[in-house]
Amino acid sequence: MSLDFSIDPETRKLLEEARELGRREVRPAGLEADRAGAPLPPDHPYFARFVARGEGRTRWPGPEGGQRAAAARPATVQMLLLAEEYAYWDRGIMVANPGVGLPEGNVLALGSEAQKERFLGPFLELDRPRWACFAMTEPGAGSDAAAIRTSGRKDGEGWILNGAKCFIGNASRSDWILVQATLDPTKGRAAQRAFFVPQGTPGLGGFKIEKKMGLKAYESTSFTLEDCRVSGDHLLGGEVRDTSRAGFKTAMRTFNAGRPVIAANAVGIGRAALDEALAFAREQDRLDDPRVRDRIEAMARKLRMARLVCLRAGWLADREQPNIVEASMSKAMAAGVGQEATTLGMELLGSRAARGDHLIEKLHRDVKAMDIVEGTGQVQRMIIARHLVQLPR
Amino acid sequence: MFDLDPGEELRLLVETTRSFAAEALTPALREAEAARAVDPAVRASFAQIGLAGLELPEALGGVALGSVARALVNEELGAADPGAALALDPLGPALPVLEELGGEEALATLASPLYSQGSEARAVLIDLDDSDLRVEGDRVAGHVPFVPADRAALLVGLGREGALVVSEGMHFESLRGAGLRAAGASSVSITDAPLAARWTDPKAAVRARARARVYVASLLLGVLRASCEFSRAYALERQAFGRPIAHHQALAFLITDMQMALDGARLLVHDAAWRLDAGLEATGAAAAAFAETIEATRLIGPAGVQILGGHGFMADYPVEKFMRESRALASWVGGLDAAREDAGRELCASSGAIALSVGEP
Repeated sequence: MSLDFSIDPETRKLLEEARELGRREVRPAGLEADRAGAPLPPDHPYFARFVARGEGRTRWPGPEGGQRAAAARPATVQMLLLAEEYAYWDRGIMVANPGVGLPEGNVLALGSEAQKERFLGPFLELDRPRWACFAMTEPGAGSDAAAIRTSGRKDGEGWILNGAKCFIGNASRSDWILVQATLDPTKGRAAQRAFFVPQGTPGLGGFKIEKKMGLKAYESTSFTLEDCRVSGDHLLGGEVRDTSRAGFKTAMRTFNAGRPVIAANAVGIGRAALDEALAFAREQDRLDDPRVRDRIEAMARKLRMARLVCLRAGWLADREQPNIVEASMSKAMAAGVGQEATTLGMELLGSRAARGDHLIEKLHRDVKAMDIVEGTGQVQRMIIARHLVQLPR
Repeated sequence: MFDLDPGEELRLLVETTRSFAAEALTPALREAEAARAVDPAVRASFAQIGLAGLELPEALGGVALGSVARALVNEELGAADPGAALALDPLGPALPVLEELGGEEALATLASPLYSQGSEARAVLIDLDDSDLRVEGDRVAGHVPFVPADRAALLVGLGREGALVVSEGMHFESLRGAGLRAAGASSVSITDAPLAARWTDPKAAVRARARARVYVASLLLGVLRASCEFSRAYALERQAFGRPIAHHQALAFLITDMQMALDGARLLVHDAAWRLDAGLEATGAAAAAFAETIEATRLIGPAGVQILGGHGFMADYPVEKFMRESRALASWVGGLDAAREDAGRELCASSGAIALSVGEP
């Protein structure tokens, strides 16, 4: 063991494949959605090709005794490098891609075998593009997830859900939605549980696909739950939680892989903007201008730094060492750097930027969300400060 | 395979250096600054634990470690007293110049004697672009505005095309010095002196500059770390408006941003050092790492003072020293502008997409 900044050959190969796929499939699909100003429809051929390639499958190995070997959890460092590369080509498409997506980790960690079979089973081998989603955010609760108001009330054997969710990725096209609800709004996170709500359940409705500034390739959807009844077996992990799984929550408190992924996405978008800016400056013969060169130099340097800060957070997670501060740092830094890189691109383009038809202009809109989702830059600084100086909550 | 663990051997080296710095350097930092020298007993102990001659080949009595080891050691020394660190290291950032341009012969004839004497004799690196030296044939004359030394056995000048060494005919005029006074501070006049050595090799000069930048950047990281740590501890003690000042969000966020700047710069420095040790192209990486560390200096040096308010301005606390010394280090080896120029030219010369990938040549 010694300090090493190299990428292993396997990851290199995966990155090359991602680059090729990104150029051929991902970027064209993202541009198409952006120009249309609407998410790619579920029956778009892009999704059919995605599924045909065998992508979007769950990591769950299948019912016990099944033939399939458990897919190993990829190393976080590798996952972050791939998250950066795909975001380079189109970050919106990454979210639009079919698959279980965000709730998979929770279901794998907390779900019963029966729940895995029922809800992850269809994702073992996708017969068609299928989606699932996780619904936490509400109009009145973003970064402060303890403030959610959607309620779960016991009703005989089942549960009655009431509330409103917003900005939920892929919600209207999902087979099921994992809805976070509170059993007692006075008790914060401790009283929150998650419920599987299959599409079509009476009371689930009011789907409205939001109009967004960027990342148009995937749907961000608001919906309501009005006396929406689900049976008892739809409560993730069951009513009496399996104590052997209690470790999961503890782990979540010390490791975080979600924030570094968004950070890696921001680095990817920033890199795309920088490459476009460099190409534009070269075309315009402006690379001899020290002012232009200095700005490009600074952006390349900050992007490399942000990438290393991301990888540090991932490396800690892979070693199962606490990474809360490092994860928040990666996100706070990378989201800022990504925005600076796209802004630099806009400024170099000059009046051409205002035409609204340059890739950099799209990236400039897309990257803004990286400083908002998974906790804003300000929230990240609060988290870091809680650890550095015990900033009171 | 990406790995930030320095490994057992280097971890031990860091711990040893940290203990040495905490026991020998930190308690004496104001004395060393006033005396413009390091206590001889401290010098002896520095040599004894093998910190002098870290990169020198074993055949010449060194430990033959690379840039990563140097970066880790320098951060520890810089966190205690960067002036003392320079005073204690016989060659400092001049060593890579002798090694890259003069090879083993220069190390044996020019560098080695400075280590074996066990004296205060040092070689000092100067930037030929930042001095007024004229070379005619095998003789040199001119003026160097500042060196962090009161005297030196060798002046090692690094330029774009090559390097030169002067060992006689130097007149040192003492200066007050903005910082790093434990190493001394003077200007140097040379009136028609013979050159001890002269090499023309632009490629080797580029590599020497990259190593020198990593050397200075890692000392800077130490100073910045000390400033962050001291001011953070103070902010948790000092009360204002009924709570520790660190619990006012304006300061909590400033402290957060300082730590982020430090951590980010350190990763770039370690990446550059690793590239140097791995024999990869490192010019741009080292220049960028140096530039980023200097930018972190612009934030952390003054912010460390700011957090202590009026106390920070007084010499009773070390943060004013951290601010002065980080500034002095940041102007070495061409400083920020030359580093950005080198990194920017390399980037813009590349065709196609910018290779940001970690570990790719």
